Amino acid sequence: MKVHKSLPKTKQTSKRQQCKDKWFKPNRIPQNSDSSNLSPSTAMAKLEHHASNLRKDKPNLKRLKKKAKAVSFRQVKTLAATERTPSRPLTNGRAGGPEQGSDSDESQDWSSFAKSVLYQNGGGESMEGQESCVSAKAAPGRIEEAAFVHCAERDYIHNRTVLVMQQGQTLCFRGKCLLSCLYGRVEVHGFTLEEGQQSYPLFSPSSHCPLTVTALGDSPNPSKTKKAGRLEAKAIVRKYLSTETRKRLLSEVDSDSCVILLEPLDTPLTRFLTSFPDLKELFGLSSRDIRDSSAMLDTPLSGLGITPLRKTAGGMVMSQTYREALNGLVNACAEELDGCPVILVCGAKNVGKSTFNRHLINTLLNHTASVEYLECDLGQTEFTPSGCLSLSTVREPLLGPPFTHQWAPEHMIFYGQSSCETDLDRYLESLKSLWRLYNRETPIVINTMGWVKGFGFQLLVDIIRLFSISHVVQLSSGDKVMCPQLTPEFLRSSHGWQTHPPVQSALGEDNSGTHPAQRSYTLFSIHSEFEGAGRPGEMRHQRSNEQRDLALLGYFSQLQSPEPGPVRPLHCFTPYQVPHSAVAVGVTHCEVAPTHVLYTANASLVGLCCLNEKVSGRGSPVLLSQTPVCPCVGFGVLRGVDMARGLYFLVTPVAPSVLRQVNCLLLGAVTLPNTLLTGQTGILGEPPYVTMDYSFELTGAGKLHVFKGLARPGQMKHAK
Amino acid sequence: MCQQRKALLSELVNMKKKTTEKNGHVVAWINKAEWDQVLEYLYSKDCALQKYALHRISAWKGRFAHNTPIAVESTADLVRCQILDRSGKLDADDLVLLYGTALMRFVNLITERQQGKIARPLRRLASNLKIPEWIVNLRHDITHRKLPTLKWCRKGCKFVLEWLQQEYWSRQLGSGLAENWDSQSEGEDGEEELQRQENELITRQKEMESYKKARELLISFEKEQFQTFEEFLEEDKQTSLWPEPSADMSWILAQIKHFALESSEILIDALIEDGFMVPTIEQLVSLSVDNSDDADPTAPHLPRVVLRFWLPLLKDLNSQLFINLLLEKLFVELQQLSEDDQKHRSFYIAGWISEVILCNANKNEYHYESKIQRKARLKDKIFMKRIQLRWQQLLAACLNAPCVAMPHLLQQILEDMEHPMPLDTRQKLLRLSSIYTQGADSGYDPSMEHSGQPSGIYTLESLHERLRVQSRRQVYMMHPGTVSDSLKALPERTEDFQEHLSPDVLAERAAELRGSPWQVCTDKVQWKNYPLGKVPGQSEDPSCLMVDNFSTIMVFDQQVEMENATQHNAHAGVSMPHRVTTDGLLWTHNDISKLKAGLQLF
Repeated sequence: MKVHKSLPKTKQTSKRQQCKDKWFKPNRIPQNSDSSNLSPSTAMAKLEHHASNLRKDKPNLKRLKKKAKAVSFRQVKTLAATERTPSRPLTNGRAGGPEQGSDSDESQDWSSFAKSVLYQNGGGESMEGQESCVSAKAAPGRIEEAAFVHCAERDYIHNRTVLVMQQGQTLCFRGKCLLSCLYGRVEVHGFTLEEGQQSYPLFSPSSHCPLTVTALGDSPNPSKTKKAGRLEAKAIVRKYLSTETRKRLLSEVDSDSCVILLEPLDTPLTRFLTSFPDLKELFGLSSRDIRDSSAMLDTPLSGLGITPLRKTAGGMVMSQTYREALNGLVNACAEELDGCPVILVCGAKNVGKSTFNRHLINTLLNHTASVEYLECDLGQTEFTPSGCLSLSTVREPLLGPPFTHQWAPEHMIFYGQSSCETDLDRYLESLKSLWRLYNRETPIVINTMGWVKGFGFQLLVDIIRLFSISHVVQLSSGDKVMCPQLTPEFLRSSHGWQTHPPVQSALGEDNSGTHPAQRSYTLFSIHSEFEGAGRPGEMRHQRSNEQRDLALLGYFSQLQSPEPGPVRPLHCFTPYQVPHSAVAVGVTHCEVAPTHVLYTANASLVGLCCLNEKVSGRGSPVLLSQTPVCPCVGFGVLRGVDMARGLYFLVTPVAPSVLRQVNCLLLGAVTLPNTLLTGQTGILGEPPYVTMDYSFELTGAGKLHVFKGLARPGQMKHAK
Repeated sequence: MCQQRKALLSELVNMKKKTTEKNGHVVAWINKAEWDQVLEYLYSKDCALQKYALHRISAWKGRFAHNTPIAVESTADLVRCQILDRSGKLDADDLVLLYGTALMRFVNLITERQQGKIARPLRRLASNLKIPEWIVNLRHDITHRKLPTLKWCRKGCKFVLEWLQQEYWSRQLGSGLAENWDSQSEGEDGEEELQRQENELITRQKEMESYKKARELLISFEKEQFQTFEEFLEEDKQTSLWPEPSADMSWILAQIKHFALESSEILIDALIEDGFMVPTIEQLVSLSVDNSDDADPTAPHLPRVVLRFWLPLLKDLNSQLFINLLLEKLFVELQQLSEDDQKHRSFYIAGWISEVILCNANKNEYHYESKIQRKARLKDKIFMKRIQLRWQQLLAACLNAPCVAMPHLLQQILEDMEHPMPLDTRQKLLRLSSIYTQGADSGYDPSMEHSGQPSGIYTLESLHERLRVQSRRQVYMMHPGTVSDSLKALPERTEDFQEHLSPDVLAERAAELRGSPWQVCTDKVQWKNYPLGKVPGQSEDPSCLMVDNFSTIMVFDQQVEMENATQHNAHAGVSMPHRVTTDGLLWTHNDISKLKAGLQLF
């Protein structure tokens, strides 16, 4: 970067800077304001702002400290980075002559990162396995019960806890909290927090693998002597603790230890979720934690809403192949030889795709301001309720399961079902139209569905072909082969649903006709080794329908006011109203008699979509004759229908400025969580669509239930 | 006492049932009237009404998504065949295919639930469900033999529809369910249920037995102790120590200890019954304890004799696990006692809790005591070393058991906790607990005396009053606006869940929506009273949501980019009046269902 300053700014270098620029984090504040009128999650954003504003002593932006040197250079360019510049072809990314110098600084960054990943993961292994790591001070590994007495101190007045961690130590926990790094560096699910950064909310509910905070130690800074570091760390501890309480901690602090601050976290999301009787213990211990009695109940952290776990709880398991893939991808993003990497993650159900995606995105966010994310999985969506496809720009790390970050994506298309098998073409068309909106300036992670057999596999082949994938990550588990290895060679000859292998001409050279020339890609195969890989989760809140409900509840928690107060049930909100004739209504997942369509729509979840057509129905409802592929801006509950006045009433967290464009309400097979209907309190009379008298004992009262793999009597005998 | 336990158990079982039943199930029909209407129309002989019912079921399927009951789906399929048959537009061959699919699906789907892990013959499954063999044969013919004749198809369809009506429709939603309850024992499920009940009985039996044993052991301990106590009294050496346990005693203790290893829970249950750790009046008299009422119930303190009486046993059992469990049980007991008034019992239970926690106290105030003092103090301790208590649970248990002694116990716990809570939280908790138990005002707040409120019963008014007093004080320092603000804030806090948008927010939203068909609903409606799916003025009639007129819009391949959309999309609005009337009827369906409900035969 220093080289840049001294160099005259030629056209070439400025271009180069342009493309380098995205590897720096722009200030987060202007971004918020530019997206505020678009996103329905402004309430959340405001709250987060509020929370961070409370802590005025901290800068508001997330930026790695070691890059502070580049500030002067960045200031010139921030505007360009925050304003959406039309995409420039990044053709001459090749470094030549002077650029070589400018590169070196950054490439050092990257290599040091790669090392740190390796170190930390290698350390992680030894932590969980054979305690072999050598360290001068406290042995690295999970902080155990006895250690908390020395390394943690609670400030009862502000209700927060300061925790001193030695390099390589980990804290694995259940619960939710706000984490800030006061000194040194810690890593959470791939994301590095450094001193001076904003605080981040962490969610570790019982439904998922518990989160782990790992101390990385202070970043190697040659300008700081050991003593200076120690003094600095001690000064920080002094700032946060009163005289009596800090004594013990001060003796623990060293120049390479990390000091973190944990505070209770109470957001509309957590308030809303835990207000449901079934979800009361969502942020508590999982049944497995209890079975293995791995919870440490009585520690200085207990009052904050988190429970540290013993070693028995495991935490995240990264296999060797997992780490290699992660490293490979991070390096690929650093090289950016051929534009930005397009990373596709695939694998059968329950092999850890979603966890890997979050880890990858978090890791990339250490180095780039944003990562694009294309959701192709309709069932286990990351940022939206299930049943829609979306393209998101991720700027914040993902430190919790999907229901904790229901952020409005940049673009979204309502499909209406949690699997795509009923209409493969609409599925692919929807994806293509999202792909067209990708600006190709940032790396993109493409998540695919767990359906990897038959047509599902063909769709995967299509996606790889159509979206010029540069890296494929294929996850697998166990010994059972769910689908063939997606090597570039294999793909050259396999058939997709819409695409087909190029016709082999005699010379094999000139086939630019129907299909774009097949770009080759790098394949990373990951073999997942965590317990239960490849099997559906059996614990509470792990079933896929429960996950779907949680995502929807997370979405609708945006309606709650950011100020603490009583949780409002959905029916208590003042609805929006719109005439029947101004919005079209469509059912995506089945044929409904047009005259009876409102019986389906009433009190249902609707996707709020925007048609190009002008919708006007001369006073009567407007129905869609088929399902369109059109943008969706959010979700709402069709709260009621006023037949006399011809009005729909809608409750939605979508901002009014966005809602005004909505002229189409789509219904799908993804329905409102039952608790929203059954748990309505304070109403007059009986709630509609709820009955106490339905008997499931009667024959035929249940839904269609397909037993898979019914054994024939003969087979059973064989097995025995 | 055995009965007490039994009663408790059954209560627990009931509670479990209640919680699962409480919320109800989500279904596709608005109310029973809609269900009744569909049922009636399905089985009417009028094709128009049948069609209407099918249309409604298509809407239900939209609501149910993947959860449509298979009986509903099968009925709709078969009724559809009948309608098409009666229309006279289809040939016999067409109809056989239609009937065939509907019948085949019915047999396959309805027997699906009966299948276990291993495939069993449909014939047997069907006979469990009272479906005759000829229906199953019909299904076999359709799937892999010669197609049956239309006549047989019609016959099959008629039979199955009747079967569905009998087995599903007419028994569903509480109609005639009770009388037929026993006729349906669900094959394997029934067996499993029986097995489960049997297991439960066995465990209960075992529990009872060990409970009896625990009592026997404790009684022998008591006998032995009384004996030593009497001997001790005769010797009349007040200052000397309680004698060393006799050989008999050691043996009893060893037995109890052994018993506690296996079933400490049951032992504790027995221990805290009346007549053991809670002495009866007679026992107290024989221990020569003065049982006058001068003991302070708010700060229960066990008579030393009672403590010493049990000390040998407790000292033997003072493992961390046992003490924790004991405390837990004592608190549970206290909680149950708080409902009915048993002063004596709750005094002793609270006394024991206090004693145990006291043993654990790590106070520094003993620094200056003499050796003899120290010895005397330690003598009465159940255990010496500080034990890891489950403080969080203890605190919760304590707060769950409101009684006069609660503030006292709470204070002990709060002071002793491993990781104490913030001071102000502690004070608030104590204060709250004293308010709750209506004990004496412990004088945290001088403003109470100031306002002349009698301590004791706190009402909302007293809170208002307090706030007013406080804010009046603040006025001297602050600007006057705060008073009215804080007073205004109070009623809002106690208000209900209804969302009240401020005029600012309303105006802002209205401005953002201006020019679009959307509006914020400004009707003066208490939305909190209306559940999702209901609006003010909505009729209870199940036909209230019918769409009489509608237009259809066609949309062709739309681009997601809204900005540069080209206007190549066709728009065809078709308006077609469409009515299925229920006008001719004198009563609406809802009226009828009400009438039906009101009717009582005989």
